Amino acid sequence: MSLIQADKLTKVYGTGDTAVVALDHVDLTVNPGEFVAVMGPSGCGKSTLLHLLGGLDRPSEGNVSIDGQPLAKMPDNALTQLRRRKIGFVFQFFNLIPILSSVENASLPLLLDGANSAQTKQKATEWLTKVGLEHRLASRPDQLSAGQQQRVAIARALITDPVLVLADEPTGNLDTKSADEIAALLKQVAKTWGRAVLMVTHDPRIAAYADRIVFLKDGKVVNETHLANGGDGAKQPAGQESSQTLAVSM
Amino acid sequence: MSVRHAVLGLLAQRPRHGYELRAAFQALVGGEKNWDVKPAQIYTTLARLEQGGLVVEDGVEQDAGPEKRIFALTPPGRQALQEWFANGIEPEHQHDEFFLKLMIGLVSGVADPYRLIHTQRMHLYQELHDLTEQRGQADPGRELANILLFDKAIMHVEADIRWLDMIEARLDDIRRQPLPEPDTKPRGRPKKIWGLPG
Repeated sequence: MSLIQADKLTKVYGTGDTAVVALDHVDLTVNPGEFVAVMGPSGCGKSTLLHLLGGLDRPSEGNVSIDGQPLAKMPDNALTQLRRRKIGFVFQFFNLIPILSSVENASLPLLLDGANSAQTKQKATEWLTKVGLEHRLASRPDQLSAGQQQRVAIARALITDPVLVLADEPTGNLDTKSADEIAALLKQVAKTWGRAVLMVTHDPRIAAYADRIVFLKDGKVVNETHLANGGDGAKQPAGQESSQTLAVSM
Repeated sequence: MSVRHAVLGLLAQRPRHGYELRAAFQALVGGEKNWDVKPAQIYTTLARLEQGGLVVEDGVEQDAGPEKRIFALTPPGRQALQEWFANGIEPEHQHDEFFLKLMIGLVSGVADPYRLIHTQRMHLYQELHDLTEQRGQADPGRELANILLFDKAIMHVEADIRWLDMIEARLDDIRRQPLPEPDTKPRGRPKKIWGLPG
């Protein structure tokens, strides 16, 4: 069963002459363990799509189901609960609380859900260790690099054991090296930890980590491409091609 | 070109013979698959450098096989190496086949340029994905050369994708322009046209 099932998803802002169609009959399915990138120019509807999938906004037309649950008729409190328990969010600017440590930041979703604080702390420590921050458990965000802050945010997104992680330009505020590390980590979230990951990005290099790229333009899916894995064997880093021959390796 | 400077640089590390130089070169670039230099190229390079006074024979090693001439760097050789380090390298701009395909597509009218861009873009994304996978599998503890070259290849494909986006954004403007035609120079002897004022 698909984890995200979106049918003819449409979002219109405003009415009459001033109506703007932000999303226009978008169909999308995402499976568990799949890493999908959504690309497109500014204003193409990427963020709207993410908001609708995350239950942060309701569509004008069409339907979304997350993990088999249709969001359309769900009352607001049930939607909030689904968001809190089934979906992890990762943002461009990390959205960490400045006065809290890594452990406290990562713990927040569970604490908000009324969980026991000792268990939560242990779980936060586990996830922070998994994302490579075991040495920065007590650090506050201002004591961390941007890449480390995004790792805390990813640990926070995973602490509720969500089936889906939605990431909105997660590398948009990072230098090249950290951006690659975060993209690789999101891939691990899908491949190692089996979550569905949907990432909005405008960066081709980051999108290339995904299994599939969905291209949006003017609110419509204009193209969708599956990236095959290891189909044609290892390629060489085609760095040098002057008079030297580039031998083909195995 | 740069093999010559690599030889100078490796001799700056310590004097060596040709066989050693080639092995050191291959180890440094991460193997023949990245940059294959044949022994003959090393020996001709050494011969030219010796002629130019940039390297000099510094003894002969004689073990079981034929004797091996050991070379060392001379002061002019060190100078040439310093100049190489002191200056930038011209980027390699190769002919771009996609550029040609697009132009031929436009003049021939038998291909939809948007389609050409689309096909190329999908191809490049797959390439970028494959490179990213392999870059991720390379061991940073042992494969520095490969990782540097993968990074370079990744960045280049990324630049090509951005270039396609730009072409696509400009395509309607491009199509409104007259297509480039060769300057029409009359062939053979210029004909005299009667009736025109001289």
